[in-house]
Amino acid sequence: MTEVIAHRGFHGPSNEEAIEAIHNELDALWDDASFVPDMDRMTFATAVIEAAANIVQHALPVAEKPVEIDVDISVQPTRLVARVSAHHAREPFADDMQASMPDSEAESGRGLALIEALVTTVTFERQDGTNTWILTRDT
Amino acid sequence: MQFSYEVNDSYAEVKGVGRLNMVAAPKLREVVAEVVAAGSSRVVVNLAETDFMDSSGLGALIGCLKAARQAGGDLRIAGVQPQVRMVLELTNMDRVLTAYPTAEAAFGDD
Repeated sequence: MTEVIAHRGFHGPSNEEAIEAIHNELDALWDDASFVPDMDRMTFATAVIEAAANIVQHALPVAEKPVEIDVDISVQPTRLVARVSAHHAREPFADDMQASMPDSEAESGRGLALIEALVTTVTFERQDGTNTWILTRDT
Repeated sequence: MQFSYEVNDSYAEVKGVGRLNMVAAPKLREVVAEVVAAGSSRVVVNLAETDFMDSSGLGALIGCLKAARQAGGDLRIAGVQPQVRMVLELTNMDRVLTAYPTAEAAFGDD
């Protein structure tokens, strides 16, 4: 099994407070894993926040239950891994999955392109009403 | 994130302290709209104490830049920290939002 050196998580309603709470967990994670270089912290934290913000801004509930966000971040010996999930969520619209950088006048639509530029792998999974982004960055 | 602003003779300086994320982005738009509406269309956003910016924050800066230009002025950024610089470079927006070392330098040549 892969060794996990440090781990943090968050689970709660998909809203603005979740974004701040997830960011605080990321900061706490680096306190627990001080050997992670600044460049890796910066890039990975940005990607995790972008993925979480994408859920808060775009994920729609599949039925009456509101969307919940779940984040699980771990530091492994040679990589960082985050699972960012939207529970009780509909499948994302193709427009929200646009991964190319828009023109310089655009005020939105850069999130996914930015995530792809920041991490080593991005995987999207959908299972039982849960959308999950798995982000990894080799360190 | 906390915003404050100060109007000088030649420009207005908007300062943001904290994380310029999807929570703070609408507040930045409001503050800059207020500054521009009050007659200062030359705006410097001082990011010396902004340690994080995501694509929502960047989108707000682009919106503010357009608002300042529509009012006949411009918007410039100053005091950019490493994470913000990284986001500007990866999105190629460093060419549109030129970073100046300080707020004073941003309109220094005009």
